[in-house]
Amino acid sequence: MTKFFILLFASSASVLHYSEELEAASVDKSVIRVNTTMQSYNLIQPWEKGASSTRIGLGAVLPQGKVLVTAQMVTDATYIELEKPDTAAKTTAQVITVDYEANLALLKPINGNDFLSDRVPFELDTNLSPKDKVEAWQFEANGTPVTTQITVSKAEVRQSFIDTARFLQIQANGPVQYRSGSFTLPLAKNNKLAGLLISYSSKDQISNILPASIIEHFLKDAEDGNYTGFPNLGIMYSQTLDEQFRNYLKLDQKDGGVFVSKVVEGASAAAASIKSGDVILSINGKEIDSRGNYIDPVWGKLSFSHLVRGKAFTGDSMKIKILREGQKKDVDLRLIRRPVEDYLIDPYMFDRGPKFSIIGGIVFQELSVPFLKLFGNDWKSRAPIKMLMAHANPEMYEKEGRRKLVILTRTIPTPATLGYERLSTLIVTKINGVHINDIQDVDKAAGMATNGQHRIEFESYPKLIFLDAVLAERVNAALEKRIGITKRLN
Amino acid sequence: MKSPIFSFIITILVWDLAPAQEKNGKENTNQENNSSRYEAVVRIENSSLNPDYRNPWNTGRDSGGNGTGWLVGENKFLTNAHVVSNSRIIYIKKVGDAKPYRAKIVHIAHDCDLAMLELEDPSAFEGVKPFDIGKLPQLDTTVKVIGYPIGGERISITSGVVSRIDFLSYSHTSVDLHLTIQIDAAINPGNSGGPVIQNGKVVGVAFQGYSGNIAQNTGYMIPTPVIRRFLKDVEDGNYDHYVDLSMSDFPLLNPAQRKALGLANDGIGIMVAAAEEDGSAGGILKTGDVLLAIDGRSVKSNGLINYEGEDVNMNEIVERKFAGDVIKLKIWRENKSIDTKVTLKRFLPYLIAAKKYDEKPRYIMFSGLVFQPLDRNLMAAHGMKNLQVRYHFDSYVSADIYKDRPEVIVLTSILPDSINSYFSDFKHSIVDEVNGVKVKTLKDVHNALAKDEGDYIIISLLGSGRPIVIERAKVQAAQKRIQEKYNVINDHYLGD
Repeated sequence: MTKFFILLFASSASVLHYSEELEAASVDKSVIRVNTTMQSYNLIQPWEKGASSTRIGLGAVLPQGKVLVTAQMVTDATYIELEKPDTAAKTTAQVITVDYEANLALLKPINGNDFLSDRVPFELDTNLSPKDKVEAWQFEANGTPVTTQITVSKAEVRQSFIDTARFLQIQANGPVQYRSGSFTLPLAKNNKLAGLLISYSSKDQISNILPASIIEHFLKDAEDGNYTGFPNLGIMYSQTLDEQFRNYLKLDQKDGGVFVSKVVEGASAAAASIKSGDVILSINGKEIDSRGNYIDPVWGKLSFSHLVRGKAFTGDSMKIKILREGQKKDVDLRLIRRPVEDYLIDPYMFDRGPKFSIIGGIVFQELSVPFLKLFGNDWKSRAPIKMLMAHANPEMYEKEGRRKLVILTRTIPTPATLGYERLSTLIVTKINGVHINDIQDVDKAAGMATNGQHRIEFESYPKLIFLDAVLAERVNAALEKRIGITKRLN
Repeated sequence: MKSPIFSFIITILVWDLAPAQEKNGKENTNQENNSSRYEAVVRIENSSLNPDYRNPWNTGRDSGGNGTGWLVGENKFLTNAHVVSNSRIIYIKKVGDAKPYRAKIVHIAHDCDLAMLELEDPSAFEGVKPFDIGKLPQLDTTVKVIGYPIGGERISITSGVVSRIDFLSYSHTSVDLHLTIQIDAAINPGNSGGPVIQNGKVVGVAFQGYSGNIAQNTGYMIPTPVIRRFLKDVEDGNYDHYVDLSMSDFPLLNPAQRKALGLANDGIGIMVAAAEEDGSAGGILKTGDVLLAIDGRSVKSNGLINYEGEDVNMNEIVERKFAGDVIKLKIWRENKSIDTKVTLKRFLPYLIAAKKYDEKPRYIMFSGLVFQPLDRNLMAAHGMKNLQVRYHFDSYVSADIYKDRPEVIVLTSILPDSINSYFSDFKHSIVDEVNGVKVKTLKDVHNALAKDEGDYIIISLLGSGRPIVIERAKVQAAQKRIQEKYNVINDHYLGD
């Protein structure tokens, strides 16, 4: 523990007089146990939920009676409980703000703030830097706190638990003991919250930390009760290391720059008329090298996406220097956030049931990444190829006016679906002549049968089937009795 | 519910490797056969040269195998195409004669796995009586299989019964389906191409089976209708291949579907799901049509017709026809019955999914980048997982890709050199354009690269906004360097 004291001394004179126990006791009151029961929907039988499971982790007590945890702790939660480690007193809590991409959530006890009044809220310490020592907090079953010291090594922009979201993460080295109830661990530096430990590999003793700077961004955004989320540029880029490519682009020897290979419609870059083929040279005066990194004063080389995601807010303006057709140009860009609801294929789906509609036993759903993931860990090679193409190239369908991709996920054998039992995972184009652009269209079209027949068209084999409308209605009524609901449109 | 590209991939063991020596068999114990019968059953030894799709400029890999063949006419031996595929030298050995006789291929039909060979010097078989070809055998009748399978040196005879007559995939190309007979006689590697005998006549050619790990006593033979069709097709000196309706169909079992299409609930008719525009039925059949009859025979709603007293797949009608033949179709469209005719032809785009033989791989090697046209052989050789490549391979016919790009050109590999040191991410991409010219064939790539215009060569790839850029001034030296270093004797082969 000698080292720890030296560190305290160096950073803050006032803590020099703290005894070790006192120091520990104060953070002890800032960390609280969070027990969640979670239950996600069954994507194959979207009318029902799967088995429930529980997760136990630790949250950080924040001012105004709030508790910070990772979003992963509370996704699809059916019941959340806060538990004081020392007294084992419990209360029910609810999620007040959640950002699945940033992997952060704020909780509050349902019955007012009294429960947390004997706790000491954390302050944030956003000045984490390499070689800092931080303490991971855990508790024994009897409430005795256990701390482990780990050493910060480096920072990197990495994928969070959502595939598409990349955020700054900090790596620290040192052994962290496994204890039950360690799903998320708050990390303290000088009694202040330095981050949340989100994963730990016992093999190489490396911890991944969601740093306080990202937490601060999340809390600032959440302050007014109207959470918008982290902004994104909405581009895909490639490096410009290749000399021949640089010459072709007329890039200066001294410049770095990343080549914009794709611009997502409806996102910040597109709104600022940045085009594919442009080279981004700098953002707010920070030069971007040919690998796509800028020099962070604390962490050194970091992906430039952190300048957008980590440092700026939705609504902020940015000055971007680009090279277009050999000419340098300044672009003022206003950061927006493309709402996740606007994606053709939902990248994630939490805390709500999958949208679906059944006609006579045929189950229609909106395609989502969680659905593709039903094909297993290697879903990117096992899922139906047309759906993978739609996932990789949503513009293929968006330009036809599709908001969502509706698919026939499966066919329940019923008297109405005789001969169709084996149909599954087909992209639906029209029902009763109506172009199907989302699940609401299915519901709308379901009332438009002609001559007592539903006409359903698919993008691929068998292209066309018919259902008896009267029989389908009868089957739906029977299904409603058996499974509860036959549609969920919102 | 026959979909033209059969995706039912099964582990079929292809019999083609068996040591056996040519000595007299125990001919006198068999009632149906005598020693002269055995003389018409020969051992075929093939030395093959298998093309190297990974290094297409190389000559290929030598290998060999043996199978069985039989005399079908004067100096005409019939065997399986897979016994003599990618062949360099073929020898035929006769029962009781140690001498190998040099043979050559006269006709090879990969789509039905049959080949016809002849001897350079036929004198050794003078006086040997060729086999007669029999009829389609009945279920539960006994057949004998003669050949040179593994497990011993001499000729081998096994017997069993006809277990099943069905319309199945031929694993040699894996895309062709024909009439097939399942027998329970032991068939083992080396039996391939050998005759299956009933009443002294050939009723089939042993050709494939299941591995014993999957199913026991399941051997397959090519029945006589397929053999006869092959023999008839080559009568004019050319093999013209099978023809195809080039459509997919969907069984009409749902009463609502039948009612909506205006059909009575009588179990007749199958729905057209799609007809390929450039195929035989293109422009004649369309989605939602109902096929009521083919050449005067009613099509049942599961796609079967009655033919010679048996329920067989309706494609059996097309199976026995030749290119240019016309078949009559009765279709039901908008509550009216229409009689129409279809002139049959091949539909080449299906071949993208076929295993190919006896073809030299085509390629272009430019600045270390290797470009090759996409087909099944290429997919297998390079194990490509790229989404665009898989999509183009999988949907080549169903998404009409063949119309836009008759050949899908893939950057399959990169021979590392300073000119391409940052290109490794582009491996397994599909070439969209070269210097602004849309690529539809391998020749397009060759022509666009040969044009000496501009300082840069720009190769755009599908699904990647970042093109490959090569400085033209560097190309000539790099090309020479790479050809020397990697021993690429010719930097392209575009076909004959």
